[in-house]
Amino acid sequence: MASRHTLNGFVLALGALLAVGCDWPGKPDPGTRQRAAEELTSFVPLYRQHCVGCHGADGQQGPAPPLNDPLFLAIVPDAELERVIRRGRRGTPMPAFGIEAGGELSDAQVTALAQGLKSHWKSDEKLDEPLPSYLPADGDDSTRQPGDRERGATLFAVACAGCHGENGRGGEGSDANNAIHEPAFLALISNQALRRIIITGRSDLGMPSFAGKDGRPDDFSTLTSPQIDDLVALLAHWRDEQGQLANPHTSNVP
Amino acid sequence: MNHLLRELGNWIDVRVGYSETLLPMLRHPIPRAADGPMGWWYVFGSASLTFLLIQILTGIGLSLVYVPAANEAYESLVYLDYEHPFGWFLRALHYYAGSGMVVMLLAHMTQVFLHGAYKYPRELTWMVGVVLLLCTLGMFFSGQILRWDPDAYWGLAVAGSMAGRVPVIGPWVVHALLGSEIIGAAALSRFFALHVFVIPGALLTFLVLHLWLVLRCGISAPPAADRPVDPATYEAEYHEELRQGVPFLGDAMLRDLFFSAAAVIVVVAIAAVVGPKGPTGPPDPTLGGANPRPEWPFLWLFALLALSPPAAETFIMLVFPVVVIGILFLVPVVSNRGHRAPSRRPVAVLAVIVIYTTLGALTYLGVTAPWSPEMRAWTSAAIPTDVVERSSPLELQGSLVFQYKNCRNCHALEGVGGRRGPDLTTVGTRLTRDQLIDQVSNGTPGGGNMPAYGKQMSPAEMTVLADFLVSLRPSGQPPAKVWSSSPTTRP
Repeated sequence: MASRHTLNGFVLALGALLAVGCDWPGKPDPGTRQRAAEELTSFVPLYRQHCVGCHGADGQQGPAPPLNDPLFLAIVPDAELERVIRRGRRGTPMPAFGIEAGGELSDAQVTALAQGLKSHWKSDEKLDEPLPSYLPADGDDSTRQPGDRERGATLFAVACAGCHGENGRGGEGSDANNAIHEPAFLALISNQALRRIIITGRSDLGMPSFAGKDGRPDDFSTLTSPQIDDLVALLAHWRDEQGQLANPHTSNVP
Repeated sequence: MNHLLRELGNWIDVRVGYSETLLPMLRHPIPRAADGPMGWWYVFGSASLTFLLIQILTGIGLSLVYVPAANEAYESLVYLDYEHPFGWFLRALHYYAGSGMVVMLLAHMTQVFLHGAYKYPRELTWMVGVVLLLCTLGMFFSGQILRWDPDAYWGLAVAGSMAGRVPVIGPWVVHALLGSEIIGAAALSRFFALHVFVIPGALLTFLVLHLWLVLRCGISAPPAADRPVDPATYEAEYHEELRQGVPFLGDAMLRDLFFSAAAVIVVVAIAAVVGPKGPTGPPDPTLGGANPRPEWPFLWLFALLALSPPAAETFIMLVFPVVVIGILFLVPVVSNRGHRAPSRRPVAVLAVIVIYTTLGALTYLGVTAPWSPEMRAWTSAAIPTDVVERSSPLELQGSLVFQYKNCRNCHALEGVGGRRGPDLTTVGTRLTRDQLIDQVSNGTPGGGNMPAYGKQMSPAEMTVLADFLVSLRPSGQPPAKVWSSSPTTRP
């Protein structure tokens, strides 16, 4: 009788296997169905294919400015985000990804990326500081003053020199290689990118934001939008001092 | 009921005569020694045959749905994979049973070779077997083409280019193969005809011949070290052996059945778990991201061609296969007598080891394809976070340059990225800043692997890139130094 039971069990097991046949691991998942490259419009695979290399696996801890940064996503205008993905950021290594600019991504894909960045990583929490504008031109243009590098230098000594050293030449001890008053560094970063980094800092690498007090002296007060203009003016002046190391996108590439 | 069936059997037998023809074939005696544990060496041939039967059945099933037209082939496979009930399983089984057939054929040939079973009087059996191997490989290749994805398209492109190098008749061969000078609808139709009519026809014909020769010459006894083959006396000895033989229809057949069943279960399980292979993408030759690969039985050739100097290509494409097939063919002509036992044939054993090691190594290289850049690495492979965390602002800029100048497509960091060039995770300990700038600017001297990037980089980019590369060192390790050999300055 025992063998009869074994046989019954075997038949039952086989039947069960057939019943769940639809869920065999080998059955192709419709989600992984091959599509034409431009039909792919979901954020995660697009981000993995096109952004991870510089902006990091989770939008953080890459060499390029983090995109998974609630402050950045709170202030960057949607149109600007799309424009930079599509056309690149002049004066920085950010390339153009839009098809019309020589990249691979269709309009729908660029939009999916730009919107996905906000829907994935933008925080719902209200950021209570009065936030500086992302673009300098974003204020009332008629009354706006261009940045002043003299004021910028004074600000730099308070807000930045703690880590970047006096005049941006590098700090002391473990901050020794934090120099940014470097021709090659400044040649590869645009004023807008500088402005963005000053505003958002790099929370993933320990650089404080425009309002962060960590590592800054007691008399530091939150930077205002015009003050950020002043700091950018100072760094731009440092860049202009060195003629020979020009912007990568306008330099000796014929 | 039994009685009725017996009546029917008798009725047919009187007219067909199977009890006088087929039954004796099944009952043909085999040497007693081949019936013991040694009998397990004899199961691979019948397993290949079992897989062939599966291929025929699944092939018929697939042909009911597959549309051999350039504009619909891909869609019909997608339909099989995602819509048709168990269509995916049929495709998977057809692929893995085909693979199993190649594996079993190789095992069968290896066994026959090692046991010297190809020697007198079974030389022709071996030669026909070689033809069967070629037919099976032809089925594999033509089957891959029917998948009509980038692998298929570019596989055809390679096959066409190879055929085009044949002297004098090259263009004619290409036209015969592709039905045109370009890869298109005609090529698919031709390969469909090859895969479904021409090659299977040849395969089955030669299979019948092979089986006839097996019956005619008998199953060889397991080799004995003290009994070399001498054509003058072999027949008598073999007949003496058969006198104490056992019928095939018995334990031997059960062993074959058992092994075949086990092999089929394994293949079915693999098909159910791994699923169908491809199609990888639509057959659009303008898609830049295609990364075509030949099927696994051809990966070794893919690797061999990729790693050989261009001057050797034509030789490897046109002469080398002829030589290899010729050698396979001539094996029983060169040695059809003498010892059969592996213990007395060290060169044969060594040859098997060398051939499989070489094929294995080349196949491994074909799988990893370290000679192909990874075209998406620059945007899809992140800079390792520990590198980012310890980087200065300049080095961060350098790692950006490293990515957007596509260095990553050939150079891995911590194992991720292209493998065409060396992994640069610790390059700062090997090359000095000056050496790095020289390497990046000028590439590999003498037109080697690495292109010169000097004219594609601004001074700023070169500066930060060099900073970044020098920083690629395990913590605590100093940068590389140059030990100058210039004469010491005299006082």
